[in-house]
Amino acid sequence: MTILSLNINLRYKTFDLKINQALDLTGITGVFGRSGSGKSTLLRAIAGLEKKITGSIVFHEKILIDTTQNLCVKPEKRNISLVFQDSRLFGHLTVRDNLKYAAKRCVNSQLNFADILTLTELDDLADASVNDLSSGQKQRVALARALLTEPKLLLLDEPLSALDQVSKTKLLNLIVKIQQQLKLPILYVSHSVDELQQVCDSMLILSQGKVINYGNIHHTIHQLNFISNSLPSEHLIHQQTSLSLPITNTDNGQGLMVLALVEQEILLPRLPGEFTHNQQLRCFILASDISICLSEPQNSTIVNHLSGTINAIESSSIDESTHSVLVTVVCSGQEFFVHISTYSQLKLALCINKPVYLQFKAGAVRTYLY
Amino acid sequence: MASPDLLALAVTLKMAALTTVILLLIGTPLAWFLAKMTSRFKVIIEAIVALPLVLPPTVLGFYLLIAFSPQHLPGKIWQQATGQQLAFSFSAIVIGSVLYSLPFVVQPLQKAFEQLGDSLLEAGSMLGAGPIDRFFTIVLPLTKTSFITAASLGFAHTVGEFGVILMIGGNIPGETRVLSIALFDHVEAFDYAKAHVLAISLLVGSMILLGCVYLLNLPRRITRKTS
Repeated sequence: MTILSLNINLRYKTFDLKINQALDLTGITGVFGRSGSGKSTLLRAIAGLEKKITGSIVFHEKILIDTTQNLCVKPEKRNISLVFQDSRLFGHLTVRDNLKYAAKRCVNSQLNFADILTLTELDDLADASVNDLSSGQKQRVALARALLTEPKLLLLDEPLSALDQVSKTKLLNLIVKIQQQLKLPILYVSHSVDELQQVCDSMLILSQGKVINYGNIHHTIHQLNFISNSLPSEHLIHQQTSLSLPITNTDNGQGLMVLALVEQEILLPRLPGEFTHNQQLRCFILASDISICLSEPQNSTIVNHLSGTINAIESSSIDESTHSVLVTVVCSGQEFFVHISTYSQLKLALCINKPVYLQFKAGAVRTYLY
Repeated sequence: MASPDLLALAVTLKMAALTTVILLLIGTPLAWFLAKMTSRFKVIIEAIVALPLVLPPTVLGFYLLIAFSPQHLPGKIWQQATGQQLAFSFSAIVIGSVLYSLPFVVQPLQKAFEQLGDSLLEAGSMLGAGPIDRFFTIVLPLTKTSFITAASLGFAHTVGEFGVILMIGGNIPGETRVLSIALFDHVEAFDYAKAHVLAISLLVGSMILLGCVYLLNLPRRITRKTS
């Protein structure tokens, strides 16, 4: 288990960054928050690029900074690599030379240069000038360059923000592949919860420089539903149910893929790409895409019907004028979040512990990656 | 060119080359310091560095002459260390030239360092490169043309120097008699033919040097325009 202990303070222009949190960096940890919430500043502090922080950062039992002891490891000695939002490639060097720049400075190099080139699909671009690359290609080079320093921790600062959807998907897949192959802890900053939902194992949520939640990715996204419900002006996320379910059938012969939810099934349109039986699929369903019925719909074009019990009904505490509630329904042990009007709630007399059916279209089951 | 003039040319080239090397060694860290400085004292240092641009050379030369005399501390220290007088020596005209040409080297370098910013240096540190490593592998290659511009301007300006040298170096053949002073001597002696040779040589030399500097900056300026 790789632990990153943060106890840092930084007086910033618009807010104070104040974080006291230990992170278990197994797999990919997402850092989520609105613009200006302190996400990038946090990464820069871990990398050693924020000179004015006070407090301590301990990574894997090694003190990176402790201002009470006047101790600070220089950024180049931390064995932590940061991939910036804007690639920051060296324009006077080719792709290969940019990568070699990192490889040459790596102490105890274990990775094979050619393997990383292949892993990041840069074989054909190795001799190109970095100035001739597309944004997606530049980020792949930046990622490969960071990997060749063989860091103990990889920090990604919104690496997809300048990319189109196709490049985003490609790079996200690559990040997952890298994490799985190299077993490298990754801290991934993004203001898109959809991106994080697809790749992260856990998530840290920041707001105004403070941690407001940290834990398992699905759990924290579900917590965000309630935060968004009580703070609609924050526009944090679209309320949703975040799922990771095994595939039981990649194609049912009708162009639909089947996921298992214990004894129930969820259908979604067949996805492009190679999938195996029992492979976990990350997907999400927006709360506004699910509706509630009191009896199982028999004659409907909507293919997904799940039986469950209402667990909670939460109304917006700030903005009463929205006339809507967030209903939590537990189906086979899994929480689903449904956004309905107070009119519907009253019409169906919905209350806690009431057995209901959820229904949603196959197309409402979304995946960001495919 | 007559042999005293060739001697003056040799002194000039030696002085300008030495001055340029010293200027690059002093000017680079000074320009870096100014580019990264955020304190309000930055403007004061910048004004001091830029002073030779507006100050009459004779004023600078006058104060240096006083400072270099054995009666004053800098001249006294020099004499104790070397056993020779500083004023009216080759060393004096090199020191004077360094001070007089300082803005021609510091300003282009400072501008280049400011334009480069910190982003690529941060990227370098994330790849394990220390400060010296980053300077030679990132800063230097990316600001190469500014270094060439700074060195060329420093060299050309030193070659054309007159007032400061006359004040602190006098006119000692083989020691402090440089081309601009030799030219002045020929004019004073009404030897216009020799004056013409020196004047045209200085003119053409300066033109070629500046032409090379602009040629070097040309591709970058065109690229910027097209982009």
